[in-house]
Amino acid sequence: MAGFLSVLRRLYLSVYNWAVFVGWLQVLVLAVKTLKESGHEQVYSAVERPLQLSQTAAVLETQNHILVSSLVISWSITEIIRYSFFGMKEALGFAPSWLLWLRYSTFLVLYPTGITSEVGLIYIALPYIKNSEKYCIRMPNKWNFSFDYYYAAILALGIYVPGSPHMYGYMLAQRKRALSKSKRE
Amino acid sequence: MKVTVVSRGGREVIKGGFDLNDSATVTDLQEAIHKRTKKFYPSRQRLTLPIPPGSKDRPIVLHSKKSLKEYSDGNSGNLTVVFKDLGPQVSYRTLFFCEYLGPLLLYPVFYFFPDVYCFFGYSVSSVTHHPVQTYALYYWCFHYFKRIMETFFIHRFSHATSPISNVFRNCAYYWTFGSYIAYYVNHPLYTPVSDCQMKIGFGFGMLCQVSNLYCHIILRNLRGPDGNGGYQIPRGFLFNIVTCANYTTEIYQWLGFNIATQTIAGYVFLVVATSIMSNWALIKHRRLRKLFDGKEGRPKYPRRWVILPPFF
Repeated sequence: MAGFLSVLRRLYLSVYNWAVFVGWLQVLVLAVKTLKESGHEQVYSAVERPLQLSQTAAVLETQNHILVSSLVISWSITEIIRYSFFGMKEALGFAPSWLLWLRYSTFLVLYPTGITSEVGLIYIALPYIKNSEKYCIRMPNKWNFSFDYYYAAILALGIYVPGSPHMYGYMLAQRKRALSKSKRE
Repeated sequence: MKVTVVSRGGREVIKGGFDLNDSATVTDLQEAIHKRTKKFYPSRQRLTLPIPPGSKDRPIVLHSKKSLKEYSDGNSGNLTVVFKDLGPQVSYRTLFFCEYLGPLLLYPVFYFFPDVYCFFGYSVSSVTHHPVQTYALYYWCFHYFKRIMETFFIHRFSHATSPISNVFRNCAYYWTFGSYIAYYVNHPLYTPVSDCQMKIGFGFGMLCQVSNLYCHIILRNLRGPDGNGGYQIPRGFLFNIVTCANYTTEIYQWLGFNIATQTIAGYVFLVVATSIMSNWALIKHRRLRKLFDGKEGRPKYPRRWVILPPFF
């Protein structure tokens, strides 16, 4: 019974990871195609559906901005590599060394580009967020709760300040560990 | 007895080691290390026996009260210990005092100085508080005052110290949540619950706080005054049915506060605190079950709830 369950689990995880991989691949192909054919202003509307399937994307007024393209491309390349890596491990029991290398090396460029896009877009969206009052909950109410999207966004920006070097440093350490381990094998 | 002190990497930490009396204790060794290294006072030292390579066992930590002879078994006259620096330490009393002082002092600021709400864009004309808000202030301050008193007069700690980084982490947790909750309960636009609900909440909460105090007294009496730090099976009162009755009463006490004050902030705090305490309770429950396995004359740990009957 235990053996059957673990096989089932592996099967499920393989299918899941490969499905999400395909989702992000769609996003990347569509994004690059649209970028070449129509320019960065059209990228968001082109990728909106597959992007929402793969990841819940915040609907921003700034859909026409170039940072949307850089964000979508950074994310999708990262996720494609990540999910195919997991998919390989679950389905075949191992991942090829070039995929391992990609997984632990592409972040060197994609973390800075992705983080810059995220921070840039939040910053640009701030005036829209403040004016639209979207997602805001005001006092008084029965549960004595309030939420201000504008200040939450500013807090999020603040978290990026210590968070980004921390994440990057963590990935560097992970890279050292993973790549030296595979060299020893 | 010749004692060699090495780092986890195998390097000798104290050149030449020590030549100690055969009857020397671990404390003597710690003091000797401190004399030589100045920086590493005893509570900063973690001394373990070396583990054979490839072994998956956790290293055996040297206890300060025991004599070195007990750890050198067959190899009489020679002992190698592995040294780890735990970093700057602070006593648990200091740690607890700092983390509890924040909520005790910050909460009343929101009650007595409603002008702070002007920073958030609210105009505060007069200071009229609902009775709930006043009782909440008393309840909250009593709670943290009680905690501080327990820290100095009731609790017996198994470890004397904690790494200094915990001061920042723990204070951030208590002070941030304290302010977060205080902001909403004392808000000029606060909506109180019914009188009945308030009484039930505070009444139940106070009952749990008193029970919690009693639990702490029971736990204190399990340990000798010299802070032996050994583990015993807790008995009596709620401990007969739940391992960590002290956490149980603490959680239900916060539930009482939230029933009376009804803020999302308070409930968020309750959920976070419950998950932290449940984690600790599980570890303690497992440790006691492992220690008291019923073999070799040791009593067997009775079947009990871990922390929250009837859930787990």
